[in-house]
Amino acid sequence: MSYLEIKNANIGFGPESNRTQVLNSINLSVERNEFVAIIGFSGSGKSTLMSLLAGLEKADTGGVYLDGQEISGPGPDRGIMFQNYSLLPWLSVFENIALAVRQVFPGYSKTQTNEHVERYIGMVNLLPAVDKKPHELSGGMRQRVSLARTLSMQPEVLLLDEPLSALDALTRSNIQDEIIRIWNEDRRTVVMITNDVDEALLMADRIVPLTMGPEATLSQAFDVPLARPRDRATLNANPEYRRLRTEIANFLIEMNEESKRLRSSPDLKMPDVTPHDFTTATSAAFREFSETDVFQLEQEEKAG
Amino acid sequence: MSEKTPEKIKYRILRFLDVTGFTVFDPVVRLAFREEPRKQIESITKFLVVPTLFVALCVGLWWVVAPNHKTKSGEVPTPNIVFSSALINDTFSEREKTKESDFLLSGDARVQALQEVDTLMSELEAELATLKSTLTEQESLYKASLASQIDPIEEKLDALKAENRQARTDRSQSIEALSLEVASGRAPNSELVEAIRKDNELYAAGRQAENVFKDQIEAIRSDKFKPLETARLDVNAVADEIQFLKKRQAFLSDSNRSVKLEQTKDKLAAQDGKLADADDAKAVLKEAKSLVRLENGVERLETQQYASAMTIYLQIKRSLFTVFVGFLMAAAIAIPIGILCGLNKIAMACLTPIISIFKPVSPVVWLLIFQIIVGAFFPDPETHPFFLFFDSIPFINSLGINPALIFSACTVAMCAVWPALVNTALGVSSIDRDHLNVARVLRLGFWDRLTKIIIPSSLPLVFAGLRISLGVGWMVLIAAEALSSSDGLGKFVWDEYQNGSSFSFANIIYACFVVGLIGFLLDRMMIVFQRLVSFDRSESTV
Ligand SMILES: Nc1ncnc2c1ncn2[C@@H]1O[C@H](COP(=O)(O)OP(=O)(O)OP(=O)(O)O)[C@@H](O)[C@H]1O
Ligand SMILES: [Mg+2]
Repeated sequence: MSYLEIKNANIGFGPESNRTQVLNSINLSVERNEFVAIIGFSGSGKSTLMSLLAGLEKADTGGVYLDGQEISGPGPDRGIMFQNYSLLPWLSVFENIALAVRQVFPGYSKTQTNEHVERYIGMVNLLPAVDKKPHELSGGMRQRVSLARTLSMQPEVLLLDEPLSALDALTRSNIQDEIIRIWNEDRRTVVMITNDVDEALLMADRIVPLTMGPEATLSQAFDVPLARPRDRATLNANPEYRRLRTEIANFLIEMNEESKRLRSSPDLKMPDVTPHDFTTATSAAFREFSETDVFQLEQEEKAG
Repeated sequence: MSEKTPEKIKYRILRFLDVTGFTVFDPVVRLAFREEPRKQIESITKFLVVPTLFVALCVGLWWVVAPNHKTKSGEVPTPNIVFSSALINDTFSEREKTKESDFLLSGDARVQALQEVDTLMSELEAELATLKSTLTEQESLYKASLASQIDPIEEKLDALKAENRQARTDRSQSIEALSLEVASGRAPNSELVEAIRKDNELYAAGRQAENVFKDQIEAIRSDKFKPLETARLDVNAVADEIQFLKKRQAFLSDSNRSVKLEQTKDKLAAQDGKLADADDAKAVLKEAKSLVRLENGVERLETQQYASAMTIYLQIKRSLFTVFVGFLMAAAIAIPIGILCGLNKIAMACLTPIISIFKPVSPVVWLLIFQIIVGAFFPDPETHPFFLFFDSIPFINSLGINPALIFSACTVAMCAVWPALVNTALGVSSIDRDHLNVARVLRLGFWDRLTKIIIPSSLPLVFAGLRISLGVGWMVLIAAEALSSSDGLGKFVWDEYQNGSSFSFANIIYACFVVGLIGFLLDRMMIVFQRLVSFDRSESTV
């Protein structure tokens, strides 16, 4: 049995009478210290899958297992980084992170807590903004705070929902390295959502595509057997990398097209009708009317 | 660095204006720091000058319209009269303070003050004498001028009266003669009727001619004679001052605390002697009783305070205190219950009917209910342990806690509780799901979730509710005080309405402005709090 496992999970939203099935028979096994990337189109259900793993949502059928134990609710052992950051707007950057740290490490002294918080703020390069409130930060800065909060909890499993989407290339590659380092050194298990295939290839051991929603499901995974540490500069020249990249891109394009075909599938029987042509009849009537009109006007003119 | 400092100051001032909600003055500050002067002047004109002119226009309108409306309490006062009533109230309060300090003076300071007052008094009396002589002078002048104007008219009037009377007797004689002729049939009836009709008409015409003169005389009399008026006012002012000085003299001599204390102590010493001299049992008992009474008197005098009359400032203080007690009661009830309602749908469902029924009830009804209830709780407030308890605490005993305060505060609380409650419940129930998810992931306990997530996130709405509550409470309080005659601004207004002196109406309008101004300041205070706790920087409505 794998470390983290989703077994046959189904989940939908809405009332019983009008339920939209979002995820359909999801099966996923993640080994200890594995790095899995999930890719998929917007709205397909990636964040829902994350909530399921975190325990924030409960599957309608099937279940999620960590180390053989069924997950009953959320907890700090699975640190989730929310896609919309979910920072507490009334707390400063420092306090946002300190809240998590105090909760997860209740034994820490005050100085220990401060050091710990500052280490993670430094890791995402936000020390200058440590006393700012979230509304005073840019989108990318907020994303980094959210990531720092999740990392500071030092969870066994990291669930990262598009953790780097709002960052510039340079900051992004720095933080990618940081995440890989933590994963590698602390032997964490990571499930990361991304819509950047290059990023997935750079970081992950395995890439799992989620099919188009509704009723999305996980399709065949792509293993990424590239040697580590992977170097951005030389990776592009690696034939294995290029092969995988085209393969995944083609898969995504195909999936897109397939879903388009599905959407316009000619299953609906159209009634066999030919439109009736009203143009001739109306124009004739109109001509008649205007002729009498003109005729009348002429008559009146003569009379006047 | 030298360039940075003014910028910093500027932004500090702007931030202050922003937090206090006085953003209208923003352009003034910016103009003072030479920032885009043209734009600032434009917005100053639009949003400061024009409104000021509008307010000035309203005041002008008031000034013009007010004197045209006569009421049973005199004319509607104009702004200047209201302003002078404010000054009068201020003088009154100053005098009360002086009297109080006089009362408490002792030793050489008292003697010196008494001397000063005495010299002042003699000066003022001399002044009063001269003013009085001017007054009599002016009176006689006025009388003379009145006579010179009225006498000729009166002469004419008298002549006219005599003439008319004569004409009337003449006519009635001729009518009598005519009636004899008609009776004997020598003249037709119609002639007599006509003659009587004619007589009535002539009589009325004569009266009208007399009235013209009478009206003239009346007009001259009612014309105010300015010098006389001022002389009278001067005399009144000085007489008033002298009255005040007499009071001061009393408080510096016989009514002074130290003097009274001295006297009582002397008596006590004498009483000791008397007790020693007394020989039969009855006398001893009597003297001993007096001794004890005197001892009690000394004790009482030592801590006696000046019993100040209620000036408007004291009334304001009282009202503010009452409203804060009521407001704190309201907040103490509304916030916990509001949180409970926001957290628990069942609690909300339970409380909804109660809120719906009691929210629209008029404050007057609550006042009467609380007056009865509180009255029943404390049948004899003087000796009730509850009040004795408050009286025994050093600082609290000067606040004057009494049943009137309690039922006024309860009325305020009852009316102010609803907006705070509803807003708190709304704030708690509309908490962002994402924030709750954070709490769930961190596995925060109930208490931490409440204090670290739920309360902070609902604070802006809670304060918005509290702000409405305080506004409602202040409005309700004035009405409650007026109705129940418990001390405060409402009572001030009510007393003025009842006593009907020449300045009452102006005082009521003055109180109206005071109430409005204080309400405005309270609201501003709440806005500042609201801004300080709001994390989303949304503009609060003014
Ligand atoms: N709480 C909810 N109630 C109802 N529908 C929901 C809820 N959460 C998600 N959905 C629906 O589930 C679907 C998947 O949503 P989800 O947020 O998981 O997409 P996503 O793959 O994360 O998209 P994106 O890449 O844009 O973040 C969407 O169609 C959405 O409308
Ligand atoms: Mg998502």
